[in-house]
Amino acid sequence: MKLAAGKADLDLCPYLDDKAKAVLGATTRPPIKLVKIGVGERSFSIGEEFVLYRHDKTFYHPPGIMFTVSDTQSDDEISAVTARVRDETLTRVGADLKFNGTAIVNTTGTAEAYARAVAAVEKTAGLPGVLISENPQALAAALVLCGSYRPLIGAATPENYKQMCALAKQHGCRLVVREPTLDGLAKLTKDCAAEGVTNVVLDVAPETVGDYLYRSTAIRQLAITREIPDLGFPVYLDATAFEDQDAAIALGIVKYASVIVTSPLSQPSAKAALTLRQNIYTDPQKPIQMNPGLYRVGTPGKDAPVLMTVNFSLTYFTLQGYLESTRIPCFMLIVDTEGLSVLTSVAAGKLNESLVRDAIKKFGVENEVSHRKLIIPGYAAPLSGRIEEATRWKVLVGPRDAAEIGDFLMQEWKP
Amino acid sequence: MIPEPHFGWTGTVGEVILGATHSDGGTRSRSYTIGGGTSLPFMEKEKKSSSPLVAFEICDDPRFWSPIVNDFCGDLIHDPGAWAKTAETAYGADLVRLCLTSTKQRDFSDIVSLEKITETVLSSTTLPLIIEGSNEPKIDSEVFQKCGEIGQGERLLLGTAEAGRYRSIAAAALAYNHAIIAQSPIDINLAKQLNILLKEIGVPRDHIVIDPYTGALGYGFEYSFSAMERIRFSALKGDVDLAMPMICAPSDSLTIKEVREADASTRNAIAVEWEFTTSLAAAVAGAEIVCVRHPDTVKRLKKAFVSLNTRGA
Repeated sequence: MKLAAGKADLDLCPYLDDKAKAVLGATTRPPIKLVKIGVGERSFSIGEEFVLYRHDKTFYHPPGIMFTVSDTQSDDEISAVTARVRDETLTRVGADLKFNGTAIVNTTGTAEAYARAVAAVEKTAGLPGVLISENPQALAAALVLCGSYRPLIGAATPENYKQMCALAKQHGCRLVVREPTLDGLAKLTKDCAAEGVTNVVLDVAPETVGDYLYRSTAIRQLAITREIPDLGFPVYLDATAFEDQDAAIALGIVKYASVIVTSPLSQPSAKAALTLRQNIYTDPQKPIQMNPGLYRVGTPGKDAPVLMTVNFSLTYFTLQGYLESTRIPCFMLIVDTEGLSVLTSVAAGKLNESLVRDAIKKFGVENEVSHRKLIIPGYAAPLSGRIEEATRWKVLVGPRDAAEIGDFLMQEWKP
Repeated sequence: MIPEPHFGWTGTVGEVILGATHSDGGTRSRSYTIGGGTSLPFMEKEKKSSSPLVAFEICDDPRFWSPIVNDFCGDLIHDPGAWAKTAETAYGADLVRLCLTSTKQRDFSDIVSLEKITETVLSSTTLPLIIEGSNEPKIDSEVFQKCGEIGQGERLLLGTAEAGRYRSIAAAALAYNHAIIAQSPIDINLAKQLNILLKEIGVPRDHIVIDPYTGALGYGFEYSFSAMERIRFSALKGDVDLAMPMICAPSDSLTIKEVREADASTRNAIAVEWEFTTSLAAAVAGAEIVCVRHPDTVKRLKKAFVSLNTRGA
């Protein structure tokens, strides 16, 4: 039963032969293996995805975005990038968005320089890491320092996979396997499994972003249909390989990348990447909701306007943004439509006069302002009469588009 | 040998022609056939996917335009003809989209000025045109009639039809053989309904471009992204009422807080980044025309689309 539910691993049973394991394994494990990168608070899991389109269910595990540092950089430079990944936070729609770790590149090819660079990273923060090197001696030297922190190491190729697997096995690391063809990748994951390494991620070695899109989509499709179980692993994308790195990052986010390596991003690129990732990995089955309540914009006084709207977070944050830029202090009365937007909650009858009346009472709006005027969203205009009757407040119908709220308040608002 | 991925598609995205050259009775230097996809975007096996087109948006009243773009474009914003020409020759756009923002003024009624601007823009650029008409339902009929008439023979793309507001634009499109944009609020069923309404009044399928409405990145873009994916999926599964190419016009991109409140040193970069990221993701979801307002976004997008359409050995 545990096996069928995916809660136990086949390897726990000593009595199954290889054939039975292969048959059972293919049907019981998730179509894409869950792989955990790093240890501690900032560790993250990737894989265990089930769909090609987010609207079919949801995407579960957002890609980790890793900033590169190189062993040609000074300790201070390396430390600065690492500290940025550790500290930088973009707060949007009530969530704290962060980059995930560092990717340490062995540009020099030597073990001494590499060990120094890895030490500089580890001294600064305990973040998940990717170790990128062509030189097994350099990796071995680095793993002495950070091998027990479940880093991702790469990349294994048909030429070096035995050495790489030995290192991954010895330290319990995760392994990037790189091959440009799907046949080659499937063979390589099988070979690595035979060496005892199954925590792998797939680098499709794309020459263009078109290659990446085609191969990553093919892998997702072949994996979730369980057609090629040997491709049932998360996908890795080195965005630094492309002329327009931001384009590669955006494509990685929308099309199935689980680890994205990039050079440290400018502020505009960083914001766009984190925002896109948040958007795509929002569960389409559950709109993000705000807690219903009375919210303040600025420090509103007794004669400040009261604007009612729904608790769909996007509505809230959009309106709040425009209200802040009007510089008119006011109250936002957020009512519980279970996360539905204005248009849909009006259509579904979820937004109605009793909900508004109860919210005014519950959140003590009458004690906060001396007037009795309520501004409602333009799309809630059909409810204006009924809200007036139920609340005995005068209702002003605001604009449909939040962008026009500033002009509306300038022209229409008098306490 | 691992097989190519197969999705079981049976349908094809319908084709729409934009712009007419001399041989087709127009004056455009080129004409585009958009649509025709038989798989997910950039996933065609035999042929290349058609590269999405980049439309550069200009307006006739810059008071209703992003100050970032106005500052960047300088005096051009007061001369739609020169602006359109620059979009073609310097910015590298595939299409020009003229937004008649002057109709946003209170009690606007100067239809003659709209005729003049449309004529000027048509004669200043040889690119196929999108004309985004009135902002006021009361004057729709006159505006679309005039724009349609002036652009007769040019195969314009006229915008924007919505449920409850599509008759005037459809009449102009039918009378002068233009294509139209059909916009619905991020909902596949409403998109389909509007297409059926348009079909019932005689607008042929190959004259319709779907606009599923694009929320700005961070402000509902995920809904638009999924609506586009679902529309493309339905088209490929054989639903002819959704088998039209799509247009993405994230017109709020430059008014959202992140862009609006950016400091002077990064505002251009963040405006471009926002348009670029949104348009690229939309193209992968199925948009075949993406509209932008910042000149620097155009070339970056075109380069990215070429790379998306290029596969190694």
